Amino acid sequence: MEKVNKRVLVKEKEKSLGIPVFFEELSTVGKSKIRVDAYDKVRGKLQYGADLECPQALIGKVLRSPYPHALIKKINIKKANHLPGVKAVMTAEDIPGQNGFGGIIPDQPVICGDKVRYIGDGVALVAAETEEIAIKALKLIEVEYEPLPAVFSPMDAVRPDAPKVHENGNLLRIAKIRKGNIEKGFIESDVILERTYTVPFVEHAYIEPDVTLAIPHPDGAITVKGPMQDPFTVRRNIASVLGILINKVQCVQTPIGGGFGGKDDSAIDIGTRAALLAWKTGKKIRMEYDREEITLSTAKRHPMIIQCKIGAKKDGTFVVFEGMIFNEQGAYASFGPGGRPAGGVHIHAVVMLPGPYVIPNVKVDGYLVHTNHPYGGAMRGFGAPQVNFAHESLVDELAEILGMDPYYLRLKNCFEVGSETATGQLLNQSVGLKDSMEKTKEAFKWDEKKKLAPDQKGLKNTEKRRGVGMAIGWYRTSIGTSSDGCGANLHLQEDGSVLLYQGITEMGQGSYTVLSQIAAEALGVTLEDVRVVTPDTDIAPDSGPTVGSRSTTLMGNAILIAAEVIKKSLVESASELLGVSTDRLIVKDRLIYDRDNPNRFVDLKEAAKQSKAMGRRMMGQGWYTPPKSSLDLETGQGSPYFVYTYCTQMAEVEVDIKTGEVEVIKIIATFDVGKAINPIMVEGQIQGGIVMGLGYALMEELVLKEGVIQNLNLRDYIIPTALDAPEIIPIYIEHTNVHGPFGAKGIGEMPNIPTAPAITNAIANAIGVRIYDLPAHSERVYMAIRRRFEKEI
Amino acid sequence: MAKEKIQLEVNGKKFNLKVNPDELLVDVIRNDIGLTGTKVGCREGECGACSVILNGKVIPSCLVPVMKADGGKILTIEGLEKEGELHPLQKAFVQKGAIQCGFCTPGMLLSAKNLLDQNANPTLEEIKIAISGVLCRCTGYQKIIEAIRTASEIIRNQRV
Repeated sequence: MEKVNKRVLVKEKEKSLGIPVFFEELSTVGKSKIRVDAYDKVRGKLQYGADLECPQALIGKVLRSPYPHALIKKINIKKANHLPGVKAVMTAEDIPGQNGFGGIIPDQPVICGDKVRYIGDGVALVAAETEEIAIKALKLIEVEYEPLPAVFSPMDAVRPDAPKVHENGNLLRIAKIRKGNIEKGFIESDVILERTYTVPFVEHAYIEPDVTLAIPHPDGAITVKGPMQDPFTVRRNIASVLGILINKVQCVQTPIGGGFGGKDDSAIDIGTRAALLAWKTGKKIRMEYDREEITLSTAKRHPMIIQCKIGAKKDGTFVVFEGMIFNEQGAYASFGPGGRPAGGVHIHAVVMLPGPYVIPNVKVDGYLVHTNHPYGGAMRGFGAPQVNFAHESLVDELAEILGMDPYYLRLKNCFEVGSETATGQLLNQSVGLKDSMEKTKEAFKWDEKKKLAPDQKGLKNTEKRRGVGMAIGWYRTSIGTSSDGCGANLHLQEDGSVLLYQGITEMGQGSYTVLSQIAAEALGVTLEDVRVVTPDTDIAPDSGPTVGSRSTTLMGNAILIAAEVIKKSLVESASELLGVSTDRLIVKDRLIYDRDNPNRFVDLKEAAKQSKAMGRRMMGQGWYTPPKSSLDLETGQGSPYFVYTYCTQMAEVEVDIKTGEVEVIKIIATFDVGKAINPIMVEGQIQGGIVMGLGYALMEELVLKEGVIQNLNLRDYIIPTALDAPEIIPIYIEHTNVHGPFGAKGIGEMPNIPTAPAITNAIANAIGVRIYDLPAHSERVYMAIRRRFEKEI
Repeated sequence: MAKEKIQLEVNGKKFNLKVNPDELLVDVIRNDIGLTGTKVGCREGECGACSVILNGKVIPSCLVPVMKADGGKILTIEGLEKEGELHPLQKAFVQKGAIQCGFCTPGMLLSAKNLLDQNANPTLEEIKIAISGVLCRCTGYQKIIEAIRTASEIIRNQRV
């Protein structure tokens, strides 16, 4: 005991609500640690799904419908079956279990039997020795279709005489908010503004294509490997489709080359189909969707038509908000609807539509409607980017009408601690919105720049005009259903190292690193001492999906609980070795020491060795159930999500008056993240989300004609390149979330949300014309400028 | 189809291969040579994940018929490190948080390497142009650009 423990003891702080004790002074959490997979990635050594070697595997392929809506009258697979090298051709009747998959409702046929509902629907499956043979076999399958009238817009689809996409009709869900009295609210308002906004289908455009390896086992069990955002939902779907128990299906996640919500859906799709072929042939199946097949067939961000009406007093106080959302679900339900009470894209969009503002009278109606288009699913922001564009455009224009600076109008009405949301939720903690506004305003020099911005007159005389714009936003942490629980197992080894078994997936967002940091901090070891075991449903506790910006918060809490269990064993062993009572021992930085005499300590690994030798507990299990979610179906009143992240984004743009081209010069954005577990990775989430938001603002749109996607590959579906990316200054602030590990809340999706309106509001500031439809591509901006010109002339 | 004999020098190592003449370079690199660090994202030269350096030029290897590369010198992501020592670009990517999902990383690194080989002191605009052929959906490019700037400084200092 000659070494000196120089650590200054800091006081412990009890966390509320059953979350274990943590320290004010942190060793690993809050530090920009290098991500645990960085070296493998930078050396090209990490094996993604497509890199798994499996030379004996058969190749699986899907025959896809060329019609948006048609009956299948007859399928003849004889010729395909006789092609040498073909090992299986499957149609709907070959499915042993349920013929349907889906994130929430299994309404999408794994193989369509009687009818197809969008171009890309699966009609038959083929397994063959080579890809060439499989493709040839697809061409030999003869399908007789009877085309049906199709419906391509949610407005048309709700008409009584509209073609029915599903038996039960096209209206899939209605969601509402009722608060106060809107009629009275409009009477009491001095100013009323009503607008309609539209946003298109957009593609996730993760760079890694979907791929799956399905391996059948002699006992009827099956293993499926691939990039999946939620191995547990993939597993449940495979079990249903094969008609076997869930415990016979093993899903193993491979490193994900980008997901953004897309691989929540697509992994179910490709996974169940590959599993079916593996079951049928008894052979390993490799299945890959190429870029165009992904765009053609997998989920998108929901397009919406959003009508809003806001009423305010002369001084800018918001009085009333009325909104209506026509949310296009497309052919299948995916994550449009969700579990009770507040799961799914649709309810989330409805809850988010009034924005982060205190408004006493609110009425929102949201209609989720089937069409014969591809389907909307989970995509970064989960319904929020769409409605944020609406409320932030509306509030900005209202400011113009009131003659107020849009910053101060927002500041006057936005949430703070103690505010009540449109659903009647009391925000009693962790609301850093006003702080984020102030920080952004300062860094951006808003007041100064706003003064310099064009006076919006005399367009003709200038070639390029600059403008500034802003938007604020809120986003939930969690999924808003009762099934949001999360489990983790920590296995202590005798040398003090730890294995972390859990099911949150790594898709680039850095979950392995952040969760390791939390585990290391909680156990008093270093980051290097923790290794995350690849999520594998056979060994990981069900952790739910890696969505909803929930991973750090929910899994972090489960890890803290698991760590406490192991710590108890370590402390008992250290107590034996040191002769100090357990209640005086602190575990930190690989040491266990006496709080009253920090120089009295033992190495953590000695304590681990002692625990092992004495047969003490070497594993800790943690299960975290988040605060209960509530939302009344009829009134939309309740507390749907237990905590929210807030942000402010300010953009400066330059608009070319002659071409309508918009260049984003700079974006400054501030996020209240509760606690930045890894600051450099928080910055990465902010910058990446904002550039994706810039794509949403200016260029991204799936172009559909009669149900046919016109831009299937990345040549025509344009996403931002390095040349489009402006300077982005990310700022984060920490308004502690009492429900989060070390105070953290989610950051993954928030950055993607207010970027589009910040940019379009800046465009309006530059040219004096508002854009109501996304994307604000050059043609649309040019036409808007033209309309103004004509007015001026 | 009859197989053709070709020779490729990949990361300083010579490979004598028998290939189908209609194969693409990316598939030969991944399947025949077994270097899977080079990725496939779109197969039409748009995403740049398959970028390699062929005879001193960055090319999307999904667009190059393998016969066109016969006799050529190729550098892939696996060839960037020398005797276990990472290239300054690799180190900078790690340090500066330039990696998220990692799927575009090979294309980014090789595009940046090619730039710095020709111009050790690039401007911001030159960096952006050099990596504009590689799509990244995760990072927003900021930290990648920062990493390339850091590496260029380190390389310049090494030369002094």
